[in-house]
Amino acid sequence: MNKMDFNKLQNEGVENVPMQQRRDFLKMGLAITGIFAGGTLLSAASTFNKAQAADFAKKYPYSPHYSMVMRQDRCIDCERCMEACVATNHVPNVHGAYRTTILEKDTSDAIGSTKEFIPVLCNQCNLPQCTRVCPTKATYKDKTTGIVMMDIKKCIGCLTCQEGCPYNARYFNEEKKAVDKCNFCIDTRLARGEKDTACAHACPAGVRVFGDLSRQDSEVFKTVHQIEKAVWVLRPEAGTRPNVFYTKG
Amino acid sequence: MTIRIISTVLALLALAAGLAFANAYPEAPIVFDKPVRGVLFSHKTHMEKGLSCEMCHNRLFEMQAKKAQQNSDFVMESLYQGKYCGACHNGTLAFASNTRCATCHIGVKGEERLKNGGKPEKKGH
Repeated sequence: MNKMDFNKLQNEGVENVPMQQRRDFLKMGLAITGIFAGGTLLSAASTFNKAQAADFAKKYPYSPHYSMVMRQDRCIDCERCMEACVATNHVPNVHGAYRTTILEKDTSDAIGSTKEFIPVLCNQCNLPQCTRVCPTKATYKDKTTGIVMMDIKKCIGCLTCQEGCPYNARYFNEEKKAVDKCNFCIDTRLARGEKDTACAHACPAGVRVFGDLSRQDSEVFKTVHQIEKAVWVLRPEAGTRPNVFYTKG
Repeated sequence: MTIRIISTVLALLALAAGLAFANAYPEAPIVFDKPVRGVLFSHKTHMEKGLSCEMCHNRLFEMQAKKAQQNSDFVMESLYQGKYCGACHNGTLAFASNTRCATCHIGVKGEERLKNGGKPEKKGH
């Protein structure tokens, strides 16, 4: 048989490809795009991006879809993040007032380190309870970024949102006479051209990685979508689809 | 009476001998606050592991609490290069400086706990 001239081959169409063969290819992550030379040759393309695209838009409906990944084991409770947050967002120095804080977890029978520090802040959930229960719509999802915002003029201080929040991320600000919470520094930093939050910027250990989940080249996306290291969220049972992720290492 | 005097003398002798042989060290833990807050060093923990004063003093640390933190190179990177705590905490003699962070970094809450001798002031609702 002579050497085939691939450029001269005609695509005979994929209509007649048997279902089983299509499925076999799909399992390999390939979609058949053409048959040539009476079915002895097939062309195929990766289905990876196509299959993910629909899922992806559902999962990360905002652009930029702001998110934070905590490399938890690096946290040393130096509290520079908390200081930076207080200074940047004018959080009053009152007991119980914070936009971000650090929790401690003791595992006294562990080998090596027995203590873990867990930085927490508003998880900017995709399905937030707080916005759902707010009677005046004073708290809402920002349509562009997905950040859970506060309209303090509308807040009546009923604190129902505090009850609804599974992450304890809201406090009543006596000065504003309204509930206050983390908004990823959207007004104090992001709107002024900064690329990260005050807490992420202040962290000396690189615990807090801030970024855009809707961009596949972002560090947050790459961390959340790998399988080598465990990635988790706090209180997944609350079903609020949080946008703050945790990992180690 | 005589027995009491003898026992007192013996007790004093034992105490003197003890002081002469054991290394005297500050009982209270040292908590560094620069460059980050809440970093613990306990003489007791290290002495109990059988270390002696001259293993660190004055080669790695001067005998003045928190003097080292005035140096601009008192950072983790220096430890990885074998300076300060890193002389031993290199993974061979003692756990490596880039592991078990929270063992030494007790944090601001840990520091408060040490000061108050109990729980730190509870934050949150």
